Amino acid sequence: MYRQKYLFLLPGLIALTAIILFPLIFTIRVSFSGWDVYNPGLSWAGVKNYVRLFEDTRYWSALSRLSLLAISTVLIQYVLGFALALMVWKDVHARRFFRVLFLVPMMTTPVIMSVIWRTIFHESLGPLNPLLDAIVLGGQPWLSSPGWAFAAVMIVEIWQWTPFMFLLLLAGLLSLPSEPYLAAKIDGAGPVRTFFSVTFPGLAAISVGALLIRLIEASKILDTVYVLTSGGPGEATETASYYIYIRGLRDFQIGYSAALSITYLVIMIVALTIIAKLMVRFLVKGQS
Amino acid sequence: MLDLHNLRLAENGVPHLDSITASFAPGTLTTILGRTGAGKTSLLRAIAGLAIPDAGEIRLDGADWRRLPPWKRPIAMVTQQFINYPHLPVLDNVAFPLVRRGEKWPAARDAARAMLDKVGLAAMVDRRPSQLSGGQQQRVAIARALVKKAPVLLLDEPFVNLDYKLREGLREELVEMLRTETGTTVLYASTEPREALQLGDRIMLMAEGRLLDAGDPRAIFERPATLEAAQVVNAPPINIVPLEIDTVARMGPFGTQELGALGRDLAPGRYRLGLRAGDIAPGGPHRARVILTEVSGSETVTHLDLAGLPLVMHEKSVVAHAPGSEIGISARLDRGFVFAANGALISQGASHG
Repeated sequence: MYRQKYLFLLPGLIALTAIILFPLIFTIRVSFSGWDVYNPGLSWAGVKNYVRLFEDTRYWSALSRLSLLAISTVLIQYVLGFALALMVWKDVHARRFFRVLFLVPMMTTPVIMSVIWRTIFHESLGPLNPLLDAIVLGGQPWLSSPGWAFAAVMIVEIWQWTPFMFLLLLAGLLSLPSEPYLAAKIDGAGPVRTFFSVTFPGLAAISVGALLIRLIEASKILDTVYVLTSGGPGEATETASYYIYIRGLRDFQIGYSAALSITYLVIMIVALTIIAKLMVRFLVKGQS
Repeated sequence: MLDLHNLRLAENGVPHLDSITASFAPGTLTTILGRTGAGKTSLLRAIAGLAIPDAGEIRLDGADWRRLPPWKRPIAMVTQQFINYPHLPVLDNVAFPLVRRGEKWPAARDAARAMLDKVGLAAMVDRRPSQLSGGQQQRVAIARALVKKAPVLLLDEPFVNLDYKLREGLREELVEMLRTETGTTVLYASTEPREALQLGDRIMLMAEGRLLDAGDPRAIFERPATLEAAQVVNAPPINIVPLEIDTVARMGPFGTQELGALGRDLAPGRYRLGLRAGDIAPGGPHRARVILTEVSGSETVTHLDLAGLPLVMHEKSVVAHAPGSEIGISARLDRGFVFAANGALISQGASHG
């Protein structure tokens, strides 16, 4: 009865297979091949690529570097975005102007902005070091020292994506009901306590969503690293995605980079699932 | 003692509070009675610190509250809206003000549980407010206000958004609970004269931000000082009939009437006669057109047009007068109130109540 209902599912199923499943299954197949610049094609190589990647310390370093970069930048973006949203939430002078101004970085093209930031960070020609010299902080080797280069990537990421947090959290703030704030005042909660007892719990669900979206996005970071530091100096800013890009499209080790990609995908799915569950437990359900 | 002195508050040039001076003794329940827009909510908000008066003083036992933010005032408040914390379970909603006051969560939860038991929500402690009915949500808000045992309790039409039966039941429960709260100054804002007469030790009448009268509810109902006070304290609203006295008393569409004791000492001139809706009855010589009939519970309020004079008739039974039809009515004119041109009461009929 009603067997033809499956017929209606068919177009969606075909699209799903073509767009998501086929590339995924094909990449899995490639990861078991020895496809490289000398042996193009799907020659079966077994688990050789996977054995190799477990011994590839450069990959695991890049992965942990990526984790550090993603978590730290997203957390800073969240704090800054929240602060900016709180600033222009209530009746402040020219709040419409500031609301638009804070969104500008998100509207720019990441690659182009990275080029501009590379110029800003340039140690002898860029405007940043003379400025730091002028205010007695002193210029820094932004792109030639491992620590400062990592900081530079973080700064660009934070600058570019804080507006996204700002936008989501401002939308959340504007949708908060006013009644609990009245109750909090009557119940003896001052502004700081009201923030932690009313505002923050009110935005818990939207915060989890915003943090997860940004973590997913940040874990794919490639363009900023590519333009700004090319993973250097040395491997100081090399992230997992950038390393996979090097192995696949610079060294043309397609089979190996496919194995790296699949491993990276599985790790990301597991990690983000755990993070999502923890955030829901502690931020959304555990508010009391 | 809660003292208000010359309290003034205006928004966009519209006075919400106009020179309010009043005192509220501890352990008393004062009903602030007034129509919508009379300034009741503004008064409670000013006392709570949610609205900043333009002038005047608010003092509790001599302590000046002018610079005290709302969260530092020893008050509790229940509003018309069912205000709770949506993300907290019912138990923590009620415990929250105690924690803010410095109590530990376990002790605060114990006190909250006891209060929720009193308001009949012992079985709902783990639910979120959104999982409760409107009446239950308002019980949570009431429990949160009572658990604080604040010296000043402000109730701003707390039951206005509930249905009639629930309103009656909750009001009785609240009065019962407030009896045990000795020493609390309770201010209860209401638009319903009947509620004010049932509840308060004291009544305070307000209109357009002004304090019209204050005192014993029964005495004010029996003898309103002004026409404005009579309009506020009567529901359905009091009828106003033009009255002209020379050699006889002429009363608009009611014609020439014998006022008896009511008009004995009145000098010739123009007056206004206030006539309660209950003193107009169906059956009589005056033909009035029915505009609208409202049935509430087992009572009927009929809006009439008597030769251009709008009248309201209140019957203690369910009657269906067809709109547009004409009915005969009679008026107990001897039970009326005579007001001077400036609105002051100068004479009233016998046996009110």
